[in-house]
Amino acid sequence: MARLSGIQKEVTKLYRHCCRCVYKKPEETRPNWRRFIRGEFAKYREIPKRDFATVEYLIRQGWKRAELYAGEGVRDVR
Amino acid sequence: MFRSTLTQLTKIAAPHRFLATTAELAPRVKTFKIYRWNPDTPEKKPELQTYEINLNECGPMVLDALLKIKNEQDSTLTLRRSCREGICGSCAMNIGGKNTLACLCRIDTNTSKELKIYPLPHMFVVRDLVPDLTHFYKQYKSIQPYLQRDTVPEDGTENLQSVADRKKLDGLYECILCACCSTSCPSYWWNQQQYLGPAVLMQAYRWLIDSRDQATAVRKEMLQNSMSLYRCHTIMNCSKTCPKGLNPGKAIAEIKKSLAFD
Amino acid sequence: MFRLAAASTFRAVRPVVRAQPTVVSAFRFYAAEALTKEAVSTRVLQVVKNFDGVKAAEITAASSFTKDLGLDSLDTVDLLVSIEEEFDIEIPDKIADELKTVGQTIDYVAEQPNAA
Repeated sequence: MARLSGIQKEVTKLYRHCCRCVYKKPEETRPNWRRFIRGEFAKYREIPKRDFATVEYLIRQGWKRAELYAGEGVRDVR
Repeated sequence: MFRSTLTQLTKIAAPHRFLATTAELAPRVKTFKIYRWNPDTPEKKPELQTYEINLNECGPMVLDALLKIKNEQDSTLTLRRSCREGICGSCAMNIGGKNTLACLCRIDTNTSKELKIYPLPHMFVVRDLVPDLTHFYKQYKSIQPYLQRDTVPEDGTENLQSVADRKKLDGLYECILCACCSTSCPSYWWNQQQYLGPAVLMQAYRWLIDSRDQATAVRKEMLQNSMSLYRCHTIMNCSKTCPKGLNPGKAIAEIKKSLAFD
Repeated sequence: MFRLAAASTFRAVRPVVRAQPTVVSAFRFYAAEALTKEAVSTRVLQVVKNFDGVKAAEITAASSFTKDLGLDSLDTVDLLVSIEEEFDIEIPDKIADELKTVGQTIDYVAEQPNAA
């Protein structure tokens, strides 16, 4: 794997955060969470890595949504 | 005024009054260029979209034009608005290069010039003309914008204030937190994370000088660092742009003055 | 402003927080000694084998996540988080970004005194 650029590292950082959060959810809903997180990241897989404005926006949005979904009241996702 | 009365009279008189009146006047078509950006297609860059409006069929304010576009030409155009009379602060945006409220800003009737409308500058955009004010509101919350007292009045009813003390709040309490001033301030553009910005600082001052508030010392202490307050370099864009005619720059100067004597 | 509020909360909470880890880490220290490299190796390989995207028939210490196991950068992150969970540790971002093979991961985990 080629070395990751700064912005790619930001993406993996967010993804890592999301993956860790999965373990705070009830065990039976974790597969749903994994599928959901992977799906959300997969949506934007085709965005060119030099399109900084878009990727930065998505990262920012990603953190916001992660914070929202991390709330204890949120147990499952479909 | 005169014309609108006239129009109404004709309306009553002629059955095809609308056609009749608009035919009398030569159309005054004004071009609007409006910032568009859709979060659903983040890979598409923001762009200016052109709309044309006949000013004869439109209200006098920019908000009237925006709503006309939204109603009749393009319902996807997104903006915040509520009161349409300059008291809610929802429709703050950058119109013709100046931060102001769309509802208080007259359309320049010179149809040879186009009018460009952008969201408030240097803010993250939610969509089209809607900026993300989350951080701005968080900063407002951080100055604890509410009355703080250790004691309750003896008669258990109201905290009284002299007429003179009440007068000190004039020019401060009228702020509607539209964020026009903060987003016009270069210092705020570059240090949004730490610098509180004119709107929030003016409210900080409003609570500092409230004769009923007893947390003055704590409030001052919170501002006593290099970033929160002292990033103001008296550029005064805030006072120039304020759609309510307030003077945040002066309020900030007053805070600095009072901190200097501590 | 935020800083001030944060600082005061922190000050109030700190004594409690500080007392706890000393006890825990003292306990962990002895327990952790028992984790041999073989044990770590078997468990890491097990996690890798059970991981969704991994198709390779044979997994060895030399296997590279991307080249041999066919994972992309995000899958790798996912896999490393599973390993974190398995050993109850947290791999710092900087190190996680540099782990490229199963062997490197085993080495790193085996070095962690509080891996469980």
